[in-house]
Amino acid sequence: MRTFLLKRLPSALLVLLLASFAVFLILRLIPGDPATSLAGPDASPETVAAIRSQLGLDQPLFSQYAGWLGRLLSGDIGPSYAIGGQVADLIGDGLGATTQLTLGALLLVVLIALPLAVVGATTRSRPVAAVVQAVTTGVLAVPPFVTGVLLVLVFAVSLGLLPAGGHESLLREPDLAVQYLAMPAVCLALPSAAVLARYLKDGIERALAEDYVRTATALGVSRRRIVWRHALPNALPSAITVLGLQVGQLIAGAVLVERIFAWPGLGQLIEQGVIRRDYPVVQDLLLLVVAVYVTVQLLTDLAYTWLDPRIRWE
Amino acid sequence: MTTVLHVTDLTVDFGSATAVDGVGFELAAGDTLGIVGESGSGKSTTALALLRMLPPGGRISAGSVRLAGQDLATLPEEALRALRGRRIAMVFQDPMSSLNPVLTIGRQLDEALRAHGTGLRKAQRHARAAELLDLVGIPDAAGRLRDHPHQFSGGQRQRIMIALALAHDAEVLVADEPTTALDPTVQQQILRLLTRINRETGTALVVISHDLGVITQTCRRLLVMRDGRVVERGATAEVLSNPQHPYTRELLAAVPRLDEPSRAAANSTPGEQPLLTVRGLGKTYGTRRRSVTALHGVDLDLHPGETLGLVGESGSGKSTLARALVGAHAPSAGSIRFRGQELGRRPRREVQLVFQDPYSSLNPRMTAGQIIAEPLIAHGLGDRERRAARVAELLGQVGLDPATAGRHPRAFSGGQRQRLGIARALAPEPSVLICDEPVSALDVSVQAQVIDLLARLQRELGLAILFIAHDLAVVRQVSHRIAVMHGGRIVETGPADRVVTAPEHPYTAELLAAVPRLEPALAGPADSARATALASNRSTA
Repeated sequence: MRTFLLKRLPSALLVLLLASFAVFLILRLIPGDPATSLAGPDASPETVAAIRSQLGLDQPLFSQYAGWLGRLLSGDIGPSYAIGGQVADLIGDGLGATTQLTLGALLLVVLIALPLAVVGATTRSRPVAAVVQAVTTGVLAVPPFVTGVLLVLVFAVSLGLLPAGGHESLLREPDLAVQYLAMPAVCLALPSAAVLARYLKDGIERALAEDYVRTATALGVSRRRIVWRHALPNALPSAITVLGLQVGQLIAGAVLVERIFAWPGLGQLIEQGVIRRDYPVVQDLLLLVVAVYVTVQLLTDLAYTWLDPRIRWE
Repeated sequence: MTTVLHVTDLTVDFGSATAVDGVGFELAAGDTLGIVGESGSGKSTTALALLRMLPPGGRISAGSVRLAGQDLATLPEEALRALRGRRIAMVFQDPMSSLNPVLTIGRQLDEALRAHGTGLRKAQRHARAAELLDLVGIPDAAGRLRDHPHQFSGGQRQRIMIALALAHDAEVLVADEPTTALDPTVQQQILRLLTRINRETGTALVVISHDLGVITQTCRRLLVMRDGRVVERGATAEVLSNPQHPYTRELLAAVPRLDEPSRAAANSTPGEQPLLTVRGLGKTYGTRRRSVTALHGVDLDLHPGETLGLVGESGSGKSTLARALVGAHAPSAGSIRFRGQELGRRPRREVQLVFQDPYSSLNPRMTAGQIIAEPLIAHGLGDRERRAARVAELLGQVGLDPATAGRHPRAFSGGQRQRLGIARALAPEPSVLICDEPVSALDVSVQAQVIDLLARLQRELGLAILFIAHDLAVVRQVSHRIAVMHGGRIVETGPADRVVTAPEHPYTAELLAAVPRLEPALAGPADSARATALASNRSTA
């Protein structure tokens, strides 16, 4: 575990540094800057220049970049330009809601994919196999904004079972919070669940064709135990890798899904930040996303080595 | 003696093809029966059919497998599961892939034990698992339950496979090619273990093998199978000394005998000046901190028209040496000279390699012609027309029809594929052929043909051949000299007959002792075995 971290941490930090550089540059390549956006369309060039120098945007790019990194490392990220308030507070406000949404979706991904994969890989009935295949293909083909609208139409408008949008804290009103969470989480989870189900199904099928499954069969081990205890553990490592990659999809998808269901998360904040060219907000948020993603990859690799003993010793 | 397994008229179909055709035998408690045959004879299908574990598409279309008063051929799946591993157990061929890589050995033994709810508690199962490992001769059995398969050697994994099969003291143990992937000394240990278990526990043993030596050593009776049918049966000693069926005679004649002198001298006379001179060759893998030395100061001379046999166990460095000689990787130390010239890193037209596995070493998407022409293109030899002519010539030279150049490898049999591999190696007109286990994947009859081909090519083209193999009998037959490798070093080199008859190095003697002979070792129980054999002769086809 420690050797693993020692080996992987430097490259993870390097990824973060490169990402910070890319995030910083890309934002500045977008036409317009916070000063023009703050000053409004009718402002005189002098006003814009004054705001610009006040924000430090007239300084060379490198010193702006260094200043940003310095603030990040010191822990005091500073105020936003356009949205108002401290960046840390803005992110703090949305972080809880977005975490709820992505973790909820992640859980659903596993809960949907696992049974689908096991059934798809082990069923002897052709119709069942065909249904699994159709479901995973169909869900993959429909983008979240379509499923979102369909879900709202069915469950909120027609049946009136679930609220069409909004958010409640899990800590304050758990059962209400789950009702709010249900549709956005399902909407976000479905495409990733389809991807994971396909990989896992392939993995289980491959494992079931292996010689060690024949050994277990010859020993009289029951079919159910062979699937869950012998084949599944062999299919898990590569499925975990796919799941780790899907976390990126979930974060990206959250921006869209939050918009559909009026979910007060970071997606709304990032959208606001980009439109109003609020450099600090967007920079810090994107870097946070990269950091989360890098952490997830580290955890994935750690889980992989834990699940496959052959890697552990090499 | 009581009959534990009674197979009558067993017939297995794959679609419209019949893989096993009316096989029948009886097995008494504590009995041993060998089933010998070449690939496609139906012996492995017969083994799988005994537990009704046929691959998809296969089904038992007639006959019965009676065990413990029940017919396994017609039993419902759940009732069959209750018998598998408990009354009849199976040991499979490849111990590398037959154990689950992500589960500990303890877990796998536990799975075998709990598969038939014997009411053992967890701690009891743990103790029983350790006992089973100990029984098959794994040192520190209790401590090793937590280890995974990859932490064991090939021989140990096969022992573990046997331990799994012994979990419930089954009356019948079916071993399908139990030693094929193993080195001779390890093979010897596994065969002794099977014999010991048969004697001590009274488990009846069915051994399936292509190797008559293996059967001779473990089984009192044997069946010879061909094309799904039993062509001959009887006491092992009887069949070996007095084979009745022409096919059995053919099979026996094709088996290379360790006690037969080398035929190499009669085939060609080696030249005086060495063609290939290897001095102090070393190869180290890995980083400086964790390195493995595969070759230690290897010295070797190979003369034109000479076959040098190279024997040794897996991990001894044989294949590393072969790869270094053809320039597939650079040695860490020493020199390789060809006609006195240091060989550089460029492709070596003069030294070509023939691979072991004729299935995986030919690209399935290329035609035979493209495969053979590949080295010609790589060395920039000839134009399109001249290459086509050369391909036709080579195909003829290795005994294949030049008209087959347009076919893909799957259209060829194993032996024909190995001929393709040889034709490919011959294409750039090399003077040295490195053959890395060229016949070990082939049936004995096909093996004999490929050996004859190599001998003829040597005679006609004056080739120097480095013949790497683990089968000492084959090596003696084809080699002028034999070099023995052990732990990355050549421990002994000498004339083929002398090395086999009067080995100088103890390791050579150990290798020789491990070769299964065709003289029946089981003298004692032969009489009773013969009686059983006669009794079951009723069902002979």
